[in-house]
Formats: sequence, C-alpha cells, structure tokens
Amino acid sequence: MSKDKEILTNNTVEQSVVQSTASQEQSPYIQTEFGDFDTDEDILLDIKDVEMTYRLPTERIDNIKEYFIKFIKGKLRYQKFEVLKGVTLQARRGEGLALIGRNGAGKSTLLRIIAGIMDPTSGIVRTRGNMVPLLKLGAGFDGNASGEENVYLNGAMMGFSHKEMKKKYDSIVEFAELEKFMKMPIKNYSSGMLSRLAFAIAVDVQPDVLLIDEVLAVGDARFQRKCSERIDQLRDNGTTFIVVSHSMQQIKRLCKQAVYLKDGRIQMYGPTDVVSAQYLKDTMV
Amino acid sequence: MQKNNVKMSERALRLKKSYVVLSSMVARNVRNQYRRSVLGILWTVLNPLLNMLVMAFVFSNIFGRDNIEMDYAVYVLSGTIAFTIMRAATNNAMHSLVNSYDLMTKTRTPYYIFPLSHVFSALVNFGFSLIALIIVMLIRLPTGKVVFSWTMLMVLIPWLPCIFMFTTGLSLILSVIYVRFRDIGHIYSVLLTLWNYLTPVFYSLKSLNLDATAMKIMRLNPMLHYVNYFRDVINGVVPDWKTHLVCFGAGAIMLLIGLLIFRLARRSIILYI
Repeated sequence: MSKDKEILTNNTVEQSVVQSTASQEQSPYIQTEFGDFDTDEDILLDIKDVEMTYRLPTERIDNIKEYFIKFIKGKLRYQKFEVLKGVTLQARRGEGLALIGRNGAGKSTLLRIIAGIMDPTSGIVRTRGNMVPLLKLGAGFDGNASGEENVYLNGAMMGFSHKEMKKKYDSIVEFAELEKFMKMPIKNYSSGMLSRLAFAIAVDVQPDVLLIDEVLAVGDARFQRKCSERIDQLRDNGTTFIVVSHSMQQIKRLCKQAVYLKDGRIQMYGPTDVVSAQYLKDTMV
Repeated sequence: MQKNNVKMSERALRLKKSYVVLSSMVARNVRNQYRRSVLGILWTVLNPLLNMLVMAFVFSNIFGRDNIEMDYAVYVLSGTIAFTIMRAATNNAMHSLVNSYDLMTKTRTPYYIFPLSHVFSALVNFGFSLIALIIVMLIRLPTGKVVFSWTMLMVLIPWLPCIFMFTTGLSLILSVIYVRFRDIGHIYSVLLTLWNYLTPVFYSLKSLNLDATAMKIMRLNPMLHYVNYFRDVINGVVPDWKTHLVCFGAGAIMLLIGLLIFRLARRSIILYI
C-alpha cells in the first residue's frame, strides 16, 4: 500500500525535473482524426486537454501536532507536480488504444482519470457505456469471504446485481477452473488462483470499455492462452480496450492505435507500429 | 433529448452500482462480525442481552435507580441499543476511507459508500437488538411496568431516520478528518467514552440532582434526546413537539455539515490517503 504511494511520488519528482527539457516542435498526431463525441455514438471515450497537477506537501504530515508546528513555523510547503499536460485522445467502439511510455510518464494516472477514480485538475473527460477498470487484479476482494461471495461482491462493483451475476456465475467458475475451491475463503488461495478468478470475472461481464493496467499475464502458459482467446473474442464483440503495457508484442496484437506518453505529454499518437517503433528507438538511446 | 436520455440512463446505472455495492458491503460487514463463531448471527441478539445483564447487575444498587419508573432491565437495554447505533457506526466509519485504499484507487466506487456502509450495518444490528429488547420486555411483562403500545412504531418513523441522519453526518466528518489526521482515532475513542457516560444510558438524569446550569449543559447533548425519545416511545409515551424538533434538527444539521465537509474534501482524499 505505502509502497505504491512511494513509487507514485518518486515518479513525479523525477518527472518534474525532466519536464523543463521536454520540447514540442511538431504535432505528435499521425494519421489521427477526431470525431465529435456528441453526435458520433461510436466514440466511447473522449478526452480533451486533460491536465493533472498534484499539490503535495514536501514531507508527509499526518498528525495534528506536527501540522500546527509546521504551520506556525511557516514551513508548510507544497510542491507542485505536473503529471499530465494537454492530453487529448479518443477511443472508438471495438478499437484498442495502447498507452506506452517509460515509468512515471503518467500512464497509470491517465488510466485512473479515464476510469473516473481521479478527477483531472482541468480538461474534459467524457465516456459512454459500461466501463470496467482492471487496474489491479483482485482489488475489492475480501480475504475472509469465500470465492463465491467474492464473485458477487466484485460483480457488484461493476454494477451487476446478485441475480445478474448468478447467470454468469457458472461460466466464471468454469473459466477460472476453480470449481473445487469456491467455498474456501480466498485468503487461502494462491496468487495464481486469485488472479484467475479476478480475470474471469472481469472478462465475463462483457464491458463496453475495458481498462487494463499490466495485468494480462495471468497464470500458467495454458491459462494465458485462454485469456488471449477470450480477449480476442471480446474485441470481436466490440469491446474497446485501453491498455497500459510494456509488452510491445501484446500491444501490437490488441491495439490499432497507440499513445506514447513522455513526461506527461503526448509525444506521439498514431498507428501502433509507428508509435511503438519510435518508443523503442527512444528507449535504446 | 437523446442526450438527456443517455445521461439519465448513465446516472441510473451509477445509482444502481452504488446500491448494489452498498448492500453487498453491508451484508459483508454484518457477516464478518461473527465469522468463525459457533452461534454466528445469533450473537447480534445475544450480545446486547448479555451486556444488559452485566449493566443491570453492576448498577443494580449503586446509583440512579430510584428515579426510574421504567423496568430497569428495559431501561438499560433501550438506552444501550439506542446509543450503540451511533457508537458502532461512527467508530467503524471513521476508519472506512483509509481501510478501503485499494478499492478507492483501483475501482470506481463513490467514496461516500464506505462510511455509509458502516452506518447501515449499525442499523441492521440495531434491528437484531430490537429482537433482544422485545424478548426482555416479554420476560418482564409480569412486573406490570412494561407496556406494548402503538407508539413503538414511532421508532421506525420518525426516530430512526433522525438518528440515521445524525450518525451519517458524524461518520462522514470523522472519516474525512481521519484521512488527514490519524490522531482523531485516539481522541475520538476517549471522547466516545465520555459521551457514553454523559448520556443517561444506565442512570436517570433526575437522580443526578444537578443545578439548572449543569442541566442545561447536559441537555445540549443530542444523544440524550435520541435516547430519551427512544425510551419514551417504548414506554408508550408520545414525546412533545420540542423533542421532535431537537431530534430532527440535530440530525439535519449534522448531515448537512457532514455532506458539506465531505464534498469539499472529496477531491483531496485520494491524495492524502
């Protein structure tokens, strides 16, 4: 938990330093056309000029005494971190969009903003349809509850009632291959079992938009193949994917379009082949 | 027109999501309380009963009993379960935001769900406690001091909505403060003990022989009015309009403050948690 946060702040520090050197000469958009969100029903996600700035105290203060001492001494300083700036993008029905970039480029923050978990400092985010964020497998699982109860709980987080989940229950269990373990509290599950269950739930609800943050490599080779097949099936049925991943192979298979983020700005936006090639070239240097 | 419809249906979907998550969280909270216990859910009834026995035993002859016209067992139990709604809900809700870090950063669950789920769990537990109260009242029926009257229905309306508002407001405030200042956890547990003793749960206010000013100060405590209201309707008495006003007013004001603070802090919660 706290580790997560440390990484977040470290990234942003590194970023704000680099920020000043980043320059923009030419338009980063290659063969990209934006439609009108209001009239075009096929556009499921529309983001305009999104900016995200964190204002965080330079050191962590979480008790009143320290807060007042610092306040009186006038040492309550805040540092601004620009995590995202001027991000504009769109995703259409059944289209994959990949977010690539180095650690700390703002990919996960962007995904969180798209998911509606965070509000951007400025800019517009508009979405259509049922969006399922898969930012961490098993977020929202309750360790004390059995696998069965967790299926319903997790379904609830995605907006499905007990009745609706009941219809999906059998296929979820079958896909996760956990028939024997559904009555067991999931704190006794292995991590592989846990991810299989989480993944099975997420792909079974047929979302309109699926947000994925580096969670595609699940289980053993055989299960991974099964996942790929299911994802292909979802894509053919018109699910839009927004994927953060460092595996270029995976991205090329799943997404036609890619966004290359660098220091919180869009460095390049266009066909996956072109963008990923540029990204790989940049990272080699 | 079309756009409006889409917006409406999306709002409906969001509301439905919140409702489903809330109800499953409440069910989980209630179940988790008694997980791995032999008697399970029965404890929700047994717990207040046993507590009442201890209270009745400890305070049977010590102080404050003379001025109580109600049956003492019923008096203590009704006071305890009325106060417990507030205590259990706020105490659990205070930690709820911090404890749900994973859910807040990885799923799109509205924040108010977390404190609210604990308030509803407390209400469910209160429902079970009512069973205990009715059992005790049936047992004490032969003493002639216990009455069953239609006024008991006033527990459901308007008493329950009023204390629900009060508790929800306080829970929202505490959960937000706890995100910034963990000190509040220690402070509040002490305050809660003090609050419990200042509320006539097992003694009667009359027996304290307070002077007018002290009495006035004691009556500033909203929980005193909630507890008294609850006892009155259990006892077949309809409280006067002033008590109604105080109970409703305290609830509404607390809820408004809570919502306001929660709304103001909503954006920064995720940054400080």
